[in-house]
Amino acid sequence: MKELFPAKQVGGYIFSLVLTVVALLVYFMDFSFPVAMTILLVTAFVQATVQLVLFMHAGETEDGTAIYTNVLYGIIIAVVTIIGSLLIFVWDM
Amino acid sequence: MEFFERFAVPNPNPAIYASMVAIVVVSLAIIIGLTYFKKWGYLWREWLTTVDHKKIGMMYLISAILMLFRGGVDALMLRAQLAVPDNKLLDPQHYNEVFSTHGIIMIIFMAMPFIFAFMNLVVPLQIGARDVAFPRLNAISFWLFAAGAMLLNISFVIGGSPDAGWTSYFPLAGTEFSESVGTNYYMIAIQISGIGSLMTGINMITTILKMRAPGMTLMKMPMFTWASFMACVIIIFAFPVLTIALLMGTTDRLFATNFFTTTNGGMDMLWANFFWVWGHPEVYILILPAFGIYSEVISTFSGRNLYGYKSMVGSMVIISLLSFLVWTHHFFTMGQGALTNSIFSISTMAIAVPTGVKIFNWLLTMWKGKIRFTVPMLYSIGFIPLFTVGGVTGVMLAMSAADYQYHNTMFLVAHFHNTIIPGVVFAMLAGLTYYWPKMFGFMLNERIGKWGFWFLSIGFVLAFFPMYITGLNGQARRMYTYSEATGFGPLNFVAFIGAGLMAISFCIIVYNIIYSFKNSPRNVGDDPWDARSLEWATHNPVPEYNFARTPHVASSEAFWDAKKRGHELFKGEIEEIHMPNNSGVPFIMGVIFFIAGFSFVFALWVPAVVGLIGIFACMLLRSFEKDDGRHISVEEIKATESTYGGAHS
Amino acid sequence: MKIDQTQPLEYSTHQNELNIFGFWIFLGAEIMLFATLFTAYFIMENRTGNGPTGPEIFEISPVLFETFILLTSSFTIGLMVHAMRIGHKKAMLAFLGITLALGLAFLSAEINEFIHYYHVGATYQTSGFTAALLTTLGTHGGHVTLGFFWGLCILIQVAKDGINPRTANKSFIFSLYWHFLDVVWIFIFSFIYLKGMM
Repeated sequence: MKELFPAKQVGGYIFSLVLTVVALLVYFMDFSFPVAMTILLVTAFVQATVQLVLFMHAGETEDGTAIYTNVLYGIIIAVVTIIGSLLIFVWDM
Repeated sequence: MEFFERFAVPNPNPAIYASMVAIVVVSLAIIIGLTYFKKWGYLWREWLTTVDHKKIGMMYLISAILMLFRGGVDALMLRAQLAVPDNKLLDPQHYNEVFSTHGIIMIIFMAMPFIFAFMNLVVPLQIGARDVAFPRLNAISFWLFAAGAMLLNISFVIGGSPDAGWTSYFPLAGTEFSESVGTNYYMIAIQISGIGSLMTGINMITTILKMRAPGMTLMKMPMFTWASFMACVIIIFAFPVLTIALLMGTTDRLFATNFFTTTNGGMDMLWANFFWVWGHPEVYILILPAFGIYSEVISTFSGRNLYGYKSMVGSMVIISLLSFLVWTHHFFTMGQGALTNSIFSISTMAIAVPTGVKIFNWLLTMWKGKIRFTVPMLYSIGFIPLFTVGGVTGVMLAMSAADYQYHNTMFLVAHFHNTIIPGVVFAMLAGLTYYWPKMFGFMLNERIGKWGFWFLSIGFVLAFFPMYITGLNGQARRMYTYSEATGFGPLNFVAFIGAGLMAISFCIIVYNIIYSFKNSPRNVGDDPWDARSLEWATHNPVPEYNFARTPHVASSEAFWDAKKRGHELFKGEIEEIHMPNNSGVPFIMGVIFFIAGFSFVFALWVPAVVGLIGIFACMLLRSFEKDDGRHISVEEIKATESTYGGAHS
Repeated sequence: MKIDQTQPLEYSTHQNELNIFGFWIFLGAEIMLFATLFTAYFIMENRTGNGPTGPEIFEISPVLFETFILLTSSFTIGLMVHAMRIGHKKAMLAFLGITLALGLAFLSAEINEFIHYYHVGATYQTSGFTAALLTTLGTHGGHVTLGFFWGLCILIQVAKDGINPRTANKSFIFSLYWHFLDVVWIFIFSFIYLKGMM
């Protein structure tokens, strides 16, 4: 990790810019709701993963497993809370 | 003068006036006493600035016991009011204030500090560590809890108590229907205390995962440590939900936002949703450490290893995840569709299974063991049938269609007290008795303790089992009275007797503390219970640095194996020990949070903003601080160890 | 204090390891914090009362500006950590400074955005939708503001004391915080703005 040129950071940055542009397509083009949501979900989660793994060095130490478990747990419960609440108040009320 | 009118209590009565006088008198007595006995320095040095987990644990313990009394007095008032039909002891407004305060105090300011007390006292010792990962943060956690508790406790004499239930549902809790500052106190006191809880969660998880003694793999940890770990995992993911919910409630009340209003697109039911997304995991936060204590006590006093270590761990992991999947069962009747109710019904019934596994494991631990019926063991044995009844009624409530009959009746009140009292309170009392010699170097009297146990158990059954029946017969909860024609009178009177017995039991427990302090011999040794886990390999009371040498562990019952199989726990030379320094900043931050919180409650914006700036100033100070702690020299350690007779380490 | 020479400085003492790990746990909690805000937003998205809706008030240009700024600041703070790990104090300070400046630019854009919302009738008090929207954006912006001052304190400490285990540890943790805020923004960008404007 002592190389001089930050290749990983530059690569990650460019990839994130690309993902952002892809997400922007839903604004400029006319997709159906399911397609647009899929694009947004995929680009958002991929970009978040890039941040997590590449920039935040989540996996680089012996604590990596615990850290990934923590983040995964958080995401699972976050999704359950969001979907569950939408189910209760919007889809099934 | 007009400025001061806002602090007046909107619905005073003689009891409240008497309390105001009592508070002033007691506060003065404390200040005068401290001055007369010249103890201010001692108080500051040894307690207000401490970062030692053992002392912080003791402060949590004292706070919990004091709050148990406040909440208990509330309960007695409620039971007295309901003892006979058409009673005039408490009018509806005061009844509402009393049951709201009772709930808030018992859950947030009694049960939570009780479990934090044991986590702080026991976990670092059980894993062979010298303190928690972040001792300074630990102190801040306690003082934030204290600030929140103080805020809530003065509400009933300054400005008015919360009166919308411990659940504070909107729109009742909004400014239209709750005009006094009581609900502001609710939002802000719980918010402050909640920040402290989240910090404890982070602290304990880091401690448990990264500070275990060499040889202690995850699957060799004592069960109380596992339980605390899983409870803290739940804390991490549940408390932020409450943080946001309270924030939204605060902005609705102070800044006229429309989160939970009934107009302008507000959605009042969203409060209930968020409250219970937090609230259900919260009850598992309370019960898991209690389960941990039962595991320790039952295995020690059965003379056997805990049965089914792996399934005990697995069941707690499952419980921690499932606890986030059931919250809607708290509002099955709120209007959502049958699909939603069915899903949450099934998940709620599922969560009973891992708990059932634990009950069987405890029974199997006792099976063919050499049972010693000590006070902690009595509480644990009493817990098993009583809690099971509570759990079973929980499964009844879990059936959403049936719940339309049970919801908000006394049946529900009986259920949750049936799980919390035998579940959490019995465990805390068992833990108190069990760990008392570890903290103070003497034992609590067994005979008096047993009287306390029996009064509590019988009182509990008499107080709460009748509520199952009156609830099924239609008695609603949170109703200040009922007419004679309903026929609820006799059973409510029985419940009042039961409450009285419970009150006597707590008096017996306090008497036990005083009696034992005076009369118990002080030479009980380091291992009075012939226990099994690492915390008993320290001296009684525990020296500042916990272990002179870090222990080396080879099994899940490290201390037992050292005693019975000659496994050597402490090897090698004594080395210099690095300890953190005391600090006044956590206490000062607590005071500032209290002042800022009080100012927000009364919408006093200038001191509120000044208070916030003060908080950030403390954080700024911490950022630039370069305190690396101090070292305890080898000579000092050896001297301390020899005063204990140099027993183990 | 035992220093492990084989590790990057920010991990090199036991307390340093504990600090970084503890902060990751805190980030897990922050995931739930923002998840709760998003839950409220998704439920309140159409509860606009008498006030304006999202499509009526969202504008793509400021949102694109904010997104690009924050993403770039995430890149520059990554460069800061990289410079720190190869021991280049001046480069590290430069990248940290640029990150904070970009953060400030983000905040001024967001403040302008809020002023715009106020003028088109989407105030904090207007409706359930505006309450949820502004609290979500505001909580994220509040985190960025806190981060700006926190980063400034670290900048001063690194300038004074150089790169040592203490300053490296603080800087690394700060970078975790800053990256996390960008991750949250990605979701705000996608599911509040883009979803609202598509």
